[in-house]
Amino acid sequence: MILLEDIHKSFEEKEVLKGISTIFETGKTNLIIGQSGSGKTVLLKCVVGLLKPDSGDIVYDNRRLAEMEIKERTYLRSELGMLFQGSALFDSMSIQDNVLFPLRLFSELNDSDKAKRAKYCLDRVGLNDSYSLFPAEISGGMQKRAAIARAIALNPKYLFCDEPNSGLDPLTSIKIDELIMDITQEYKMTTVINTHDMNSVVTMGENIIFIYQGSKEWEGNKDDLFHSKNAKLNEFVFASKFFQKIIKA
Amino acid sequence: MNLLQHVGRYSLLMYQTFSVPQRWKLFLKQTWTEIGKLGADSLPITLIISLFMGAVMTMQVQLNIENPLLPSYTVGLVTRDTLLLEFCSSILCLILAGKVGSNIASEIGTMRISEQIDAMEIMGVNTANFIILPKIAGFVLFIPFLVVYSMFCGILGGYFVSLFTDLITPATYIYGIQYWFVPWYVYYSLIKSVFFAFIISSVSSYYGFYAYGGALDVGKASTNAVVNSSILILLFNVILTKILLT
Repeated sequence: MILLEDIHKSFEEKEVLKGISTIFETGKTNLIIGQSGSGKTVLLKCVVGLLKPDSGDIVYDNRRLAEMEIKERTYLRSELGMLFQGSALFDSMSIQDNVLFPLRLFSELNDSDKAKRAKYCLDRVGLNDSYSLFPAEISGGMQKRAAIARAIALNPKYLFCDEPNSGLDPLTSIKIDELIMDITQEYKMTTVINTHDMNSVVTMGENIIFIYQGSKEWEGNKDDLFHSKNAKLNEFVFASKFFQKIIKA
Repeated sequence: MNLLQHVGRYSLLMYQTFSVPQRWKLFLKQTWTEIGKLGADSLPITLIISLFMGAVMTMQVQLNIENPLLPSYTVGLVTRDTLLLEFCSSILCLILAGKVGSNIASEIGTMRISEQIDAMEIMGVNTANFIILPKIAGFVLFIPFLVVYSMFCGILGGYFVSLFTDLITPATYIYGIQYWFVPWYVYYSLIKSVFFAFIISSVSSYYGFYAYGGALDVGKASTNAVVNSSILILLFNVILTKILLT
């Protein structure tokens, strides 16, 4: 479980996050939704420690991020896996080496077991015939899957995904969503997903927070989403004519 | 950002860079790769530049010292000393600042903007140590070989002039390059080059590491890396010459 307590973050004069508090539950897919520029990515970067909040605290299963020593922080990071918007695979390494990278640095397994683990992770995401290919040689969807394989290589307790479906076709997006959900349940992880893709929200939204101009505007799950009276949320959710038609029907 | 802020941020980055590697095996492997990429790949450009500069220097010296009071072997002597004292360390490093500096800054800058560095940081990797230290170590370790290679190629360029033109005879040229040889000049050149290699690799890494935005910003970082490395090389050339030669 990850607890966020009154997170504030500003860049120079602009306040990007205005006191966000919430709980991301274990074994669930927790979604942060909102328009582009609403502060979703900044919030996610604060949660994983890439950005330092101006005030407020983040608590990982009773461990306060702000009070952690460097060693504790390093240990915590070995428990995190992150899928970036652009996959962030290392260009100079093959897909297999990308997955092996965290294992080579942090795992105490011997070389043969590391290779087995990397193979298992790649097979798990359906990349069993692309071990030796480089990121530039595979499609966007395969890059996302390779990034998921890398993120789960060390059996993380927490998985963070920043817009996992950006740039993907609807069919591949669904496959990625299903993969993230399966992995969350399989590893009993706390998964936090940043998205503005409504298909993903409907598929995966076990716990959803809606961010509007840096503030938490609404919280609930995918069933509550279509019955909310919140005007700002409805404006976001029903922006697509497709969803408007569904609701009318 | 003002100069003082840059100096402070650069110092902090270097503090972070010079820590014990998390995995020695990986560090040594990466350093070996960087020796190849930054050092060995610079051999062809070093050969071409040094050979031609040595040849041109020999011709120019010959044409400028047509004085009956000066012995003809002066051509070889002046060519040798100019190559050893200045060209094979300072000028070569200024040229390499363009090649190696832009390579380092653009590589690290691209890693930054494509979130590869963020991905490493999430994993708990000391990114400065992991990415920058092998580059500095690789280039600093290889630069003495490049300098000695450049000295050899430069002197060879002058020899070709003596061989294929009638400006100077090969025997006189060879006598000149052996006459009054001061071994300290070689050491002086090597010491300077090690400092310059550190400047090129660390300053370029700094600009790449703090690049942000898009492709245009990586280009800017690369330009800044080359310009500032060159200025620092020129500055330290004066300081080191004062300390080591006077």
